[in-house]
This record gives sequence, C-alpha cells and structure tokens, in this order.
Amino acid sequence: MVPPVSAGISITFDDVAKRYDLRVIFRAVSGRVDPGEVLLITGPNGSGKSTLLAILCGLLRPTRGVVRYRRDGGDEVSREEWRRHLGVVAPSMAVYEELTALENLGFYSRVRGLDLPIAIQRGLLERVGLDPDRTTPVRGFSTGMAQRLKIAQALLHDPEVLLLDEPSSNLDPAGQDWLEDQIGALVADGRTVVLATNDRREMTWGSRRVSLAG
Amino acid sequence: MSRWLAEVLAVAGKDLRTEFRTRVALNALALFALTTLAAVSYTIGPYRLSAEDRPFLLSVLLWIVIFFAALAGLDRSFVKEEESHTAGLLRLAAAPTVVWAGKLVYNLVLILVLMAILAPLFCVLMGFEIVMPWRFVAVLAAGGFGLAVTTTIVAAIIAQAMTRGALFSVLSLPLLLPLLIFLIQGTTAVSTGDLATWSASLRAVLSMAGVMTVVSALLFPVVWRD
Amino acid sequence: MTRIGTALKWLLLVWMAVVIWAAFMWVPSASGFKGESSRIVFFHVPTAWVATLAFLVSCVASVMYLKRRSPQDDNRAAVSAGLGLVFAVLATVTGAIFAKIMWGAYWNWDPRQTSITILLLIYAAYFALRGAVPDPEKRATLAAVYSILAFVTVPFLMFVVPRIYWSLHPDVITNPDPDNRLDSAHLRVLLASLAGFTGLYVWLYTLGSRIEAIRHRRRQEVL
Repeated sequence: MVPPVSAGISITFDDVAKRYDLRVIFRAVSGRVDPGEVLLITGPNGSGKSTLLAILCGLLRPTRGVVRYRRDGGDEVSREEWRRHLGVVAPSMAVYEELTALENLGFYSRVRGLDLPIAIQRGLLERVGLDPDRTTPVRGFSTGMAQRLKIAQALLHDPEVLLLDEPSSNLDPAGQDWLEDQIGALVADGRTVVLATNDRREMTWGSRRVSLAG
Repeated sequence: MSRWLAEVLAVAGKDLRTEFRTRVALNALALFALTTLAAVSYTIGPYRLSAEDRPFLLSVLLWIVIFFAALAGLDRSFVKEEESHTAGLLRLAAAPTVVWAGKLVYNLVLILVLMAILAPLFCVLMGFEIVMPWRFVAVLAAGGFGLAVTTTIVAAIIAQAMTRGALFSVLSLPLLLPLLIFLIQGTTAVSTGDLATWSASLRAVLSMAGVMTVVSALLFPVVWRD
Repeated sequence: MTRIGTALKWLLLVWMAVVIWAAFMWVPSASGFKGESSRIVFFHVPTAWVATLAFLVSCVASVMYLKRRSPQDDNRAAVSAGLGLVFAVLATVTGAIFAKIMWGAYWNWDPRQTSITILLLIYAAYFALRGAVPDPEKRATLAAVYSILAFVTVPFLMFVVPRIYWSLHPDVITNPDPDNRLDSAHLRVLLASLAGFTGLYVWLYTLGSRIEAIRHRRRQEVL
C-alpha cells in the first residue's frame, strides 16, 4: 500500500523548447506549479499542449530546457522516478481494450509493484462509477466509460502529481461535475495538478497559467 | 527481486491473456508453420531424400519453418503497444527492464508452444529420425531462447519506426543467421548421433543467446525511453 | 584545407598509383594461382579489411553517441557505415570473381563468403532502419543500438563458425589462405595495398564527416 503523501512535489520547467527536425513545436516555455495548485496549459489546437505535457511526464525529452521535480524539503526526484509519483490522463494514451476494467487496474497495480487487493481496485472503480461494468472488456465501453477508467488508472497509486490532458472530454455533464469535485478534493489534499486544455469550463479550475499561443 | 519478478510476470501475463483473446500472433505463427510444413511434406515427404542427405536437409527445413514462423509473429509484443497507443501508460507504470523481461517471457512462451507442436509433427510427417531425443529437446529449447531474445530487442526497435512489417525481418535475419547455422548443425547431430558436434553446437547457441540477453537488457532502456 | 592534409592527399594518390602499378606490372604472377588471378588478392583482401574496419569504427561511434548524445557521433557512424557498405560490396564482387577463376564457381558459401554476406546484410539492415525513422534523435539512437547488437554477433561469425562449420561439409571446396602462398614481393605489395586502402578509407571518412557536420550546422540555424 502506498504510504500517505507527506510532502508534495513542485514542478518547474525553464526555457523548454521542442523541435522535430525542422518543425518547431514551441520555444522557450517556462512555468512552475506547487502542491495544492492547478497549472493550466492553454493554447490553440496544434500549439503543443500535449507535447509539453508529455515532456512534463518524462515521456519526451525537450530539445532544450530543464524540467525539475522537487519535494518540499528541496530533494529532487530523478527523471527515472517521476513515473512513480505521476498519474496521467491523456487522449493519446489508452488502456487495454481486450482486458476488462478490473483486469486493467489489476495489471497496472501489479506492474507498479503495488499489488493492491481487489477490494481496493473495486473501490476505485466505484469511485469513478464503473463498478457494475468491471467485468466488461474495455472494447465494449462507451467513450465516457473509457475516460472514467483512464482517470481511475491515474489515481491507482495515489500519486502526488496529476497531469491531465483534456480530462473531461467524453464525459457527460454529470461526469464533468464529478471530475471538478475530484480535482478540487485532490488539490485540497496537497496534490500538484497540471491541466492542458482548451475547454472553457476546465480553464476555470486553474490558478496558474502557461499559454502556448503562437 | 521477487517483486521485480512479479512485475515481469504481470507484463508477460497481460500479453499472454490479450493474445489468447485475440489470437493474432498465434494465428500468424500457426498458419505460417503449418502451411509451410504441409507444402514441404507434400513435395518432399518421407521418401524423396536419400538416407545420407536426410539428417542435414531435414534439419535445415525444420529450422527454416521455425524461423520464418517466428518472424511472422514475434514482433507483435511491441508493435501492438504502439499501434493501440497503450505504450504511453506502460512506460509510466512499469520499469524498463520489467517491460523487456516480460515481453521476452511472452515471446519465449509463444515460440516454445509453437515448437512443441511443430517439431513432433515435422518428425512424423517427414520421417525425421531422432537418435538422441532429449538432446533434440535441448537444441530446440536453446534455439527458442536465442530466437526469443533476439526478436524481442529487434521488435522493440522497429516498433518505434515506420514501415514495420518488412523491417522486422530485415533487421532480425543478420542477427539470427549465425544462430541458425549452429542450430542446424546441432539438430543434424541429434539425427546422426554425433555427440561431439551436438555439444559444440549447443554451447555456441547458448553463448550467443547469453551474450544477446546481456546486451539487449543493457540497451533496451535506451530504446524504450526517449 | 591544411597543408599537411593536402600533402597527405597527394601522398595517398601517389601511393595508390604505385600499388596498382606494382600489382599489375612489378609482381610476377603467383604460383598455384590460375593465370593472373593472384593479382586480385591485392584488391580483394584490403577491401574486405576496410569493410570490417569501417564496421568497427561505426560501432565505436555508436557507443559514443549513446554516451554523449552528440549528433556528430551519429554522423560519423552513418558515414563509416556507408563507406563500409561500398567496400563490402567491392570485397564480395572481387571475391566472387576470384572464386570463379580459381574454383569454377562464383559462389560456394565458404566461411569467408558467408561472413562477408552477413556483413552486407547488416549494413543493408542498418540503412533500412535509418530510412524508416524520421526523427533525427530517435534515428540516431535506434541505429546505434542496432549496430551494437550486430557487432556482438560478428565474433561468433568470424571465429566460431569456420571452426565448426567445416566438420559438416568436407566436400565443399576449401579456400586456401592466399597469404600462405605469397612470397616476400607479394607480401610487400599486399601490405602496401592494405595501407593504401586504409588511407583511402580515412580520407573519405574525414570528408564525409565534414560534409555531414556542415549539413547539421545549417539545420541548427532554424531553431
């Protein structure tokens, strides 16, 4: 069982740029987010929000610039360890279609070395409203249900940091209300949240902001 | 250590479970192997080869079928993760060596199951006489391991490239050819009863597989991460 | 272009010219070889040697790239591999011609022909991989990993296969080591040719690396 969060994690990124061969995605982006805050990453379609998020997860290397994860005490978390403290929800990252909701959570829990008991996994599914569908293969899910499962997967290991890319996409209004409450609770609990979005409602959830316009 | 092993088995188990439900790689392996075997059996059969040529030629045919079946199905472990877009969450959830070892176990299970069905069938249909049966199993197991280890790292490489299908075979073959040569020798030896050659060939296969295992375990994180 | 560089280039030109002349005019035809065929050895052995050397250099550059992530290392690996491919093709062709004259068949899969074939396949695979990855950093990383993987299989090819392989195929025509049959004059020309071809490789490699470095600098100006 993951121990309760003691000190939160701050993320800072300085002068981060990303380029693919001749195509520049963005140049010189900087920002910071502390525990208990929500950082918004905004910008028009194609401005590189998802790319920046991938860099902040450690999935992509920036062409230039530095991203740092630091605990309150000042200790830095190395890039290899980031994944233990991260929960990510993104449209480009899917869960396993051939497995059921419960099997998906079981896999992610086991592969993280957590081995959470089924009761806890079911509890999480209940929290996202998927417990009745836990034995259905994800292939049979609606997009809204799949989104909820992705959110469950992100919360599985109780991470200090949440990186969300348009998390309320595919959710019905009730789902969006629910998500807003969840994020509010996580923030109150001292988690660090980064939210990449173009959605007007989601943009009201943030305190800080980095814009990738142009 | 046991936690690492549990994580590895989680990856292998997930792949095997998924594969069992969709059967894409299994179908590719089985269909390729069985079709080729049927063709070889029909055209050559147990009677057409002279007694002195049989051990060598039948070894060659057996391993050609196994190798090409492997090339038909063993890239799926990594290619599927990229194509289904599940690789991202896997990168975030699992340590790189866990992913490598888990996929290796998965490929190993697939190839060993293929051999378990194919080898006896081949021997029966082609009249392949095996004088040292347990040593034959040893050659098959060692060859299976060598195949699995090489195809795992190559699959990881090509999953990140475009034009994946042909590229997998193109990259794997140069690395597998020396292995193939030794395996043919070892299999010929178990058919003729040549203990010395069998021993030398097995040692060569195991050392190649061993070196490939160490090197790919070291290089995999570089391929997997950005 | 430094003065030493220019001087060395001229030296190489003269050296190679002398080697070619010596190979055809000065050295008598070796005994035990059919007709004038022994002369091809002076070109075949060095090209095979350079093909292998180029592979080694490419692998070392690959390891350096993985350590330092400098695009220059990747350029060097690619340039050396390109040269290695050319020399490997030359070695294969000259070897096949020699085999035809000596033993009547262009190809008989003896260990050396097998080894050079596999080296050719490795080079071809390396460039196929490079062509399939658009992102330069990813391409460099994957290519580097592949050349290291290929490199570790090569010792098994070169040393272990010949020893074991022959026990199976005693009837295949053996390839006598030409070096054993050469007297001192032949040996001297062979060594000179080896040095010359190595010099040729070094020159082409330096040239290629410089061109790639310039190309790379031009691209950097975009960001």
